[in-house]
Amino acid sequence: MTLLDVRNLRVTFDTETGPVEAVRGVSFSLGRERLGIVGESGSGKTMTGRAVLRLIRPPGRIEADAMLFDGQDLMRASDREMRALRGKRIGMVMQDPKYSLNPVMTVGDQLTEGLRRRDGLGRRDAEAKALAALEAVQIRDPQRVMEAFPHELSGGMGQRVMIAMMLIPEPDLLIADEPTSALDVTVQAEVLSILDRLVRERGMGLIFISHDLRLVARFCDRVLVMYKGKVVEELEARHLLEAKHPYTRGLLDCLPRIGGPRGPLPALDRSGAWAQ
Amino acid sequence: MSLIEIDHVSVTFRAKGREVRAVEDVSFSVDEGESFGLVGESGSGKSTILRAICGMAPVTAGTIRIGGKALPSPRGSGFATQVQMVFQDPYASLHPRHTIDRTLSEPLAIHGLRDSDARVVQALQDVGLPPGFRFRYPHQLSGGQRQRVAIARALMLQPRILLLDEPTSALDASVQAEVLNLLSRLREERGLTFLMVSHDLAVIDHMCDRILVMQHGRAVEQMRREDLAQARMTTPYARSLFDASADRMLG
Repeated sequence: MTLLDVRNLRVTFDTETGPVEAVRGVSFSLGRERLGIVGESGSGKTMTGRAVLRLIRPPGRIEADAMLFDGQDLMRASDREMRALRGKRIGMVMQDPKYSLNPVMTVGDQLTEGLRRRDGLGRRDAEAKALAALEAVQIRDPQRVMEAFPHELSGGMGQRVMIAMMLIPEPDLLIADEPTSALDVTVQAEVLSILDRLVRERGMGLIFISHDLRLVARFCDRVLVMYKGKVVEELEARHLLEAKHPYTRGLLDCLPRIGGPRGPLPALDRSGAWAQ
Repeated sequence: MSLIEIDHVSVTFRAKGREVRAVEDVSFSVDEGESFGLVGESGSGKSTILRAICGMAPVTAGTIRIGGKALPSPRGSGFATQVQMVFQDPYASLHPRHTIDRTLSEPLAIHGLRDSDARVVQALQDVGLPPGFRFRYPHQLSGGQRQRVAIARALMLQPRILLLDEPTSALDASVQAEVLNLLSRLREERGLTFLMVSHDLAVIDHMCDRILVMQHGRAVEQMRREDLAQARMTTPYARSLFDASADRMLG
């Protein structure tokens, strides 16, 4: 079943030197699965994720032939309808907990805010739900974390708090923008298994945005490889390492490997026609 | 003889009246011309060791020796001509309102070296940047270009030792490859000694001859590069880091 269908998505910013197209005609569809979007910085992967939620501020423009979420056209939805979708049905985990959590609110207040305002829960019920959400993301001392301010948490804890916050309303689709790049490898594995469980048990759709090809190959079902605002290759994640496209190959080959050769790492050749 | 000796060093911070033991009784030594790697999770104390060498962290026990001599406190100007550091985040480590020229010529001015024009141009060339970049500001450069500038700045005084604190973790994979290649080339050309910190075992493996795994401020296990490649680690923690490493999971 298709949860999200995006056709010919474009994101444009007008600058002093003329319009800059951050996303140039991206199409994809997503079922209840894990879709990875990979690419370098500036490839448009984050903008693609934000455009789905229409989180691009003017003068940035979003254009698309269609952007259907569960049958509803997001391009035609009113601001009020979009607000009803955001968080509740489509969640987004931002990249950096340092900038995405409110620095002057305790974690507990931030976690319960939505529950109290949107769902009209009482303080006690909201707190119980927030504690359960923190436990679900493997935070060992949830009571202490509830009372803490964001600056009192490590990067990994902050990231898990953001994931917990997005999972409380049980969205149908979660857009995760580099949710694990601030984390140590061992914590990263934990966070991925939490996301994985949600996809399998709750049938959630997941868009996983990352610059890490190996991570995406391991974790996702399908992968879009983006370069300069375009999808250059779409393939099954388990076949990512046998990718044929020169850009995907270049990204894979420039990574060092444990026990690999010591010589210079191959540089990415951007001279092909695909790079235009 | 060892060029860098870290001899039973502890670093303790005092914050809000309680003690934080960032590094506890860590010892290792790095030979001249060697590349030595420190790996571990955040908070394992690996960056603190680099900062302690530079005199930027309170060493509460033990001794740090460079070339057999214990380092004076404060470090003094002789230290800067021997040891330089490249930081993790090239967006934060260059002065945003200084041109590249000013950033690179400042160490020359401090140390009273002449010929700064020629040296700055040469330094840019050595790290693969066009001479036209001299009068740009950091915000006009990409992340990889900034890190090249940071490396050029570290080399201005022609030190023997470079301390590299996660020099590529803020960069894209393709740019990381370019910066790692640059560092390897410079080490070979100038016979530099590297002490490199990273959380990425694959990067450490690519760059270093010997590796020290750290956890919670303590040394867990020291091994040679060949032992890492053959998975011959003896402690469970080093094994778990190795197993969680992204490129192992693909088998």
